[in-house]
Amino acid sequence: MSAGLNTGLNTGTGPGTGTGHRRPAVGQYAGDRRPTWPYPRATLGTAVAGAVSVPFLVPPYPLHQVTLVLVYVVALLGLDLVAGHGGQISLGHGAFFGIGAYTAAILLSAGAPYPLTLPAAGLVAYGLGHAFGRPAVRLSGVYLAVVTFAVAVAVPPLIRRLAPGGAMGLPVRTPDAPFFTGLDDDQWVYLLVLAVAAAAFTLMRAVVRSNRGRALVALRADAGAAELLGMRPAAIRAHAFAWSAMYAGVAGCLFTWTTGFVAPESFTVTLSITLLAGIVIGGLGTVSGAVIGAVVVTFLPAPGLVSGLALILVLAVAPNGVTGLVRRAPAFIRRDRS
Amino acid sequence: MVPMLEIGRLTVRFGGVTALDAVGLLAGPGEVVGLIGPNGAGKSTLFDCVTRRRVPDDGVVRFDGQDVLAQPPHLVAGCGIARTFQHPTVFPGLSVRENVMTGAHRFGAAGFWRAAFARDGERRLRAHADRVLDLFGLLGLGDHPADGLPYGVLKRVEIARAVAAEPRLLLLDEPAGGLGPEEAMALAGLIGELHRATGMTVVVVEHHMEFVLGLCERIVCLDLGHKIADGPTYVVRRDPAVIAACLGAR
Repeated sequence: MSAGLNTGLNTGTGPGTGTGHRRPAVGQYAGDRRPTWPYPRATLGTAVAGAVSVPFLVPPYPLHQVTLVLVYVVALLGLDLVAGHGGQISLGHGAFFGIGAYTAAILLSAGAPYPLTLPAAGLVAYGLGHAFGRPAVRLSGVYLAVVTFAVAVAVPPLIRRLAPGGAMGLPVRTPDAPFFTGLDDDQWVYLLVLAVAAAAFTLMRAVVRSNRGRALVALRADAGAAELLGMRPAAIRAHAFAWSAMYAGVAGCLFTWTTGFVAPESFTVTLSITLLAGIVIGGLGTVSGAVIGAVVVTFLPAPGLVSGLALILVLAVAPNGVTGLVRRAPAFIRRDRS
Repeated sequence: MVPMLEIGRLTVRFGGVTALDAVGLLAGPGEVVGLIGPNGAGKSTLFDCVTRRRVPDDGVVRFDGQDVLAQPPHLVAGCGIARTFQHPTVFPGLSVRENVMTGAHRFGAAGFWRAAFARDGERRLRAHADRVLDLFGLLGLGDHPADGLPYGVLKRVEIARAVAAEPRLLLLDEPAGGLGPEEAMALAGLIGELHRATGMTVVVVEHHMEFVLGLCERIVCLDLGHKIADGPTYVVRRDPAVIAACLGAR
């Protein structure tokens, strides 16, 4: 089909654009795939080397906090699929996080080996995500927020009543470092969490860059036009929600591995709101936004005046989050803004 | 002639207004049909019915022997039908290339797990999108966000997206809208070449008469929901009723 048809459209001055318009600065709009940083591989290598060396350089308590950052990275990667790409608000991810955490804790206290708890937590959350998501995503816009809010409110009391430990919570054994590694347990847990987070990051990047990720963004923009291209809105949104819940469940399992203690108060609606605030501040619709958001979730005080003001400030100054701000920085410095 | 697209007695009412009144239209395989008429004649409504965006009050739409009205909207693409809209529906939040790739959505892997691991399929889709972008002179804009592009470019991106679906029936709603005269004629030439290369059936709604006269073998004219003319271009363009309704004093 491309057999040298002369379109005659290519009349402009730019390199094969023919539009003659002033191009917007990089990072001004979502969906910009122009490269912003010339050394992606070197940066990735440095980041991996840095992340792997952290447990050998950082004392135990800060290491615990860095591990928690990675735990929240996984949760936010999942939340971003629904909120960032799908453009839907979920207030239930704290609950799915808690369900994953409790699934892991109950299995661990029953004597299950810890590697088994990870897929179990993911599967339970995935199943529940389908169960709640399938009817909920058929509802438009704010209704998903309402339904998921109900889930977030209902789960902590249910845990208090039904789960072992009740309101007191449930202490569990954290993964032990294998003898041959010579590592401390907290170093081992950090490396485990890092490996899972890296795999989750890679997988999510593949998902959002696949035809399903594009379909989610297309459905958000114009569901009618997207449907005509063969996309099934309800099915795609339901699967995205289930994947998103699965990520939250896996993150919950990592949380149990890291803290060795779960209690209903850790997974209230406050956690859901904090996660949502984190992904908005980090940058919706970008995988790197999840990383920045996780730092925010870990170190920002619980929802209150400070985090509320931070959220408003970000939305006012950088509607694309910190990630969008960083992507715009080079153009800003060159005063090349349009 | 065995009709590829067969529209019969199509009737759509909006409250008391009859937007389409028992309109029939046949298009053979590989035909290029122009659909003209003043604003409000029912042209876009007819497209909406063919693509299942709107369920008509009465009538049949058959494409290649299939009852289109019995299909859910997301399966219309699978029948081989693609369309563009009067106001381009290019998706912001995706790059220009990704927009064209969404056109080929139905060729991609199904399901999230399979899609995440379909690297070969993704590479093929990308190459396919690049070929289409090249045809439309948009290759240099591939990585550009679809947001923040001029109207005329958005219209081209949308047509490219529809062409990427490799349709057997392409419905174009005012493709030349917002284009300059030269650009419009270049686009008509491109659509003509695509048509010759692929043999697809094309139905074009357009006000730009030179565009229609240059591209279409047959013209159907609607006015206030009624079909007032249907025939070869050289006949319809001299039809007094058509001239009165659409062409003005010529």
